[in-house]
Amino acid sequence: MSERVFSVILLPTSDCNVACDYCFEHKEPHRLSLVLVPLLTRRLLDHLENEHIEECEIYWQGGEVMIMGPAWFEKAAEIMDRAAAERGRRFVHYLQTNLIGYSPAWNGVIRGMFNGSLGTSMDYPNIHRKLFKGGATAYTELWSRKLHEAKAAGIAVGVIAVLHKGSLEVGPEKFYRYFTEELGLSDFQVNTPFPGGPAKEVEGGVQLDSSELAEFMVGLFDIWMAEGYSSGVSVGPFNALVDHFTGEQARLPCIWKENCSNQFISVDAKGTVAQCDCWVTSYPEYFFGNMFQEPDLTGMLKTSRARREFVERPKRLVEDDDCLSCRYLSICHGGCPVRTYSALGTMMAKDPYCEVYKAVFACAEAHAGEVLRARAAPIISLRERHKAADPCVVN
Amino acid sequence: MSEEAHPPISVLPSALAETQGDGPFVAIVRSRQELCRWLNNPLPGLRWLQVEGMLGDEEAWTEAAHSNSNVPLDVVLSDPALEFSHLYRLVDAYAVRAIRVTMPAAPGLTKAIRLAAALRLPVRVLPGQPSFAALEELQEALQFYLHEPTVDAPVEFFHSVLATMCDSEAGSLWTILEKDPDVFRHYDADGRIRVPRTSDPDQSEITSAGFVENHLSHLIAQGAECATCPWQRPCSGYFKWPDPAYSCEGVKRLFLTIQTAGNEIRQDVASFAAADEGALSEPRQATR
Repeated sequence: MSERVFSVILLPTSDCNVACDYCFEHKEPHRLSLVLVPLLTRRLLDHLENEHIEECEIYWQGGEVMIMGPAWFEKAAEIMDRAAAERGRRFVHYLQTNLIGYSPAWNGVIRGMFNGSLGTSMDYPNIHRKLFKGGATAYTELWSRKLHEAKAAGIAVGVIAVLHKGSLEVGPEKFYRYFTEELGLSDFQVNTPFPGGPAKEVEGGVQLDSSELAEFMVGLFDIWMAEGYSSGVSVGPFNALVDHFTGEQARLPCIWKENCSNQFISVDAKGTVAQCDCWVTSYPEYFFGNMFQEPDLTGMLKTSRARREFVERPKRLVEDDDCLSCRYLSICHGGCPVRTYSALGTMMAKDPYCEVYKAVFACAEAHAGEVLRARAAPIISLRERHKAADPCVVN
Repeated sequence: MSEEAHPPISVLPSALAETQGDGPFVAIVRSRQELCRWLNNPLPGLRWLQVEGMLGDEEAWTEAAHSNSNVPLDVVLSDPALEFSHLYRLVDAYAVRAIRVTMPAAPGLTKAIRLAAALRLPVRVLPGQPSFAALEELQEALQFYLHEPTVDAPVEFFHSVLATMCDSEAGSLWTILEKDPDVFRHYDADGRIRVPRTSDPDQSEITSAGFVENHLSHLIAQGAECATCPWQRPCSGYFKWPDPAYSCEGVKRLFLTIQTAGNEIRQDVASFAAADEGALSEPRQATR
């Protein structure tokens, strides 16, 4: 059996309970019926068998997943996990939610199905995440309360922050302190923004100036290394990059994979299959097919013309773009197709945040060098002391 | 060590490999059918598959990613300039089995090595008797291998020659590049032993035991530059075959570059060892 892991970003609904103004998803009220879960499960398990893959990671997100209710998840997990066990496979479930619908009623399913952890999102300052009534301020207050309730219930919470112009204006130090001190988090991740929606229609304020964004990211990296790295604070993707450059096993984010088309797909409530949640919610021209209408997911992925572009993209970038001469090719491979497509209207170009990534990689490499030197410091220190104690050693 | 303990590994076309018993062999496969045959039902003696002319066959690499066996693959690029970007097709298969890529010293070599390094694929470069243009490529690729910190998979022959120059025993280029007929016996489609590094059948027992030793002795007796070459041991006349008149001026520059890097590594290691020794002697000083 292969050690490969296949991941599915599963959207049981595109419906949402909030009104974030940079959301690119079509908020349809459609929900995945429990009646269809066995079929979905069978299609996935068939694919795992065809590919000789033992484990499948399911990233549940929306829309907003908590709209489905905890009882729905308990039943879905029961159906999926039992079917997987019968065929010698395993699903590992992850939950990504805006937390707004969280209540103690979720604790059982979070502990049982999601191993006691969840992922959520918050920006700083929060300008764009809004409730239907009350706007961004009310959203922040409600979200913060839910966060503290979840943490108080013993749930491990990781937070994704999407950077925007306001983040760059407040600067990396305030940004870092908000997440670590005000929210008391020891695990958060920063994502670069992208407009989503129709290609090339870049919304104002979403696409950031690369040099300003790079400066912010490097500043945040420096603060984290100075204050958080040694004290157990994890900031993604910086932690994975330091692991990489210090020779540790690193799990880099999907935007820097050799080829994301080999590693995951996204499926929405209607059975639509596309590369990731961004594609399945925004770009019908890049749908691979429909899982409920086509019996063979493996065949669909193999023959989909839309998927061909994803498969061919890294190859094309090393042929036509300047990626091959980049010293960070091994950890970037041209970056994210959807970030590229939403900004440029084609995915056959390198990620528009190339310069930002390079700045972050260089920063990670420098910090990793310091980490390695610090690890060697006890030996160097003893050597210096030895030299000082030995008059025969000429410095 | 006796030949019985380590019989030579036969390198032979897929069809001939079917007749191999338990003896060690490498099967050369040139079609998806042949590849799948060995992946799905390998014989006990199979060491690895030498995969030729198939990098462009996407379906083949899907099969290689799905097969249950863990047979290693040596994927041969005949034209690195044209084929290098196809290395991305190996990513899935490499997640489930050992893969090495082999390529000639030819235009596009550095591109292929750069991408192989980015994908952490080990590389074997077959230099042959390199032309001036090939030497330029080799020098560029060597600089990349030696000085690019993101390279962590070996690039042969640079890697083993560097090890030799750092006092490790890695054998000569003939062994490193799997061309020593005492260790690797190559067969043609008719089952005849091939003269090393040619496609000619061996009709006059050129590859009898001790081929490399005999070749080097012969070169020295003939007054070849090998007699006084500082890299005689790691090379053993590799670059003087099949044409003994080949001028080694260019390859000597390659060896010198590797030697210089090896010296730097040895100095660093010695300096570190001295530091370590000092550190270890510290407690004794403290008790004085």
